[in-house]
Order: sequence, then C-alpha cells, then structure tokens
Amino acid sequence: MSAAAPSFWRRGSEEVSLARLHLMRATALLGVWGLFATMQALFVHDPLDRGVHKALIGGLWLMAVLAFRYPLKMVPILLFEMTWKLVWLLAFGLPQYWSGAGSPRLGEDLWSIGVFPFVCAIVIPWGYVWRHYLRAPGERWR
Amino acid sequence: MTAPAAPEELSLLRLYVMRAVYFLIAFGEGSQVVPALFVHEPTARGVIPALLSGLCLLCVLGLRYPKAMLPLLLFEMAWKTIWFFAFGLPQYLSGEVPPTFAEDFKAITVGVVIMPLVVPWGYVWRHYVKAAGDRWR
Repeated sequence: MSAAAPSFWRRGSEEVSLARLHLMRATALLGVWGLFATMQALFVHDPLDRGVHKALIGGLWLMAVLAFRYPLKMVPILLFEMTWKLVWLLAFGLPQYWSGAGSPRLGEDLWSIGVFPFVCAIVIPWGYVWRHYLRAPGERWR
Repeated sequence: MTAPAAPEELSLLRLYVMRAVYFLIAFGEGSQVVPALFVHEPTARGVIPALLSGLCLLCVLGLRYPKAMLPLLLFEMAWKTIWFFAFGLPQYLSGEVPPTFAEDFKAITVGVVIMPLVVPWGYVWRHYVKAAGDRWR
C-alpha cells in the first residue's frame, strides 16, 4: 500500500482529500444560499439604511461563489469567517449572554454567528493552512 | 549551471503595493475598529466591528503572503464597491443620508478608488477565473 495513494478520505499526494474538498464546497454553497436574502436587500432597502453590514455580507456572498469553484484558493475567506465570528462571540456574544442584557437580536445572532467558528474549525483544512499560510516561505522582499 | 528561474508572477512593485494596502488595513483601519471591541455599549450588536476587526487581523498575514491572501483584498474591494453603488451613491444623489454617512462615504470611497489599482488583475484572471477549479473526483 502506498502512503501517497489518494482516496476519498485520504489526501495522499494531493493537498487535501476529496472528502475535505466536498465539505468545503458544501460550506460555500451554504453561504451562497444562506446569504442570498441579504443580496436581495442590496436592491430593496430603507433609503436611509447605513448599509455597511449588508454590503459586507454581499461581499462575502461573492467570495462564497468563488469558493465553490476554488475551495483551496479561497481558504483565506474561511479563515476570515472563523476569525470575525470568534471575535464577535468573545467581544459581544458571550459577555452579553452571561450578563443577561444583550442586543435585541442576541438570541438569533448567537445561532447565526456564534456557532459558526466551530463549524469553520471543522471545515478548514488545518494541515493545508499550516503548510501554505504559516510554514511556507513568504513572498520575496527584493 | 543552474536552470533559469521561472518568471515571477507579480512584479516586486506590485508585491510592495499589495503589502502597503494589507498594512493600511491591518494597522490603519485596525487602530480605528479594534478598540470598539473593548469599549462599546453593553447592548451593541457588534457585527460590523467584529467583521472589520477580523479582516484587519487576517491582513497581518497578507504582509508575509500577499499573493495567497489575495481573496481578502478581493473581499475588501467587493464590499466597498457594493456599498458605494447600493447605498453611498444613491444616498448622495438623493441628498437624504443616514447620520453615519459623511464618515462612511469618505472611508469607503477611498477603497473603491484604490482597490482596483492594487489588485493584480492579470493574476486574478489567471488564477481565479481561467484556472481549472479544484478537482471533483
């Protein structure tokens, strides 16, 4: 048996396993589907809406479309998803949950934001991240 | 005799321009948004500061890997362009604006103008449009 033989579950000589790629694509598809309502809100909204939140989500929607085709190249977006949601959970979600006084949308946000760092942690190919975003030599400086 | 080096995909100038923008987002924008994580209304929803802080944190990686972290720059360009055309410009033209408009318009419009100059379009075309997608089987 060759250690380099890829199978559905093993990456072998590939960067990640096929199972991982499918999982990443499924996550991208979930993003495309889940954020679609916000995309519609870009066209129909209160004229005085600040819009920053909706625009940020709109940008993420476009990135999710790209991630469906190029899951590995778009890993930075998965890292970003995990980071901002973790930041939200630590700086806003959990302190408000524990204090008992939170924003009116806390309950909803705890599900739609607070749970996702853990989902991302499962989906992200950490070996790939380690090899390409930490151990790899940086781009040249001269 | 050593083999000739493969041609570089991006010029050194381009790498420096990209790094400068990662730096500006990480530390310039970061110094504005990260404090809001610690000092805010106890009932603030917090989604916008969290999103922007997450972006600033990851842009630190862009200093070392400007090419690999390119999706962050694409995201930055995308959301600012979306805001400009879906919110900023219509509100500016109608004259009816939210209280945060002046600050948002300035900060975001700068991004809308600068980002298309920073993004290496040839590289994006080759790697994010024309390149074959990751394998399916």
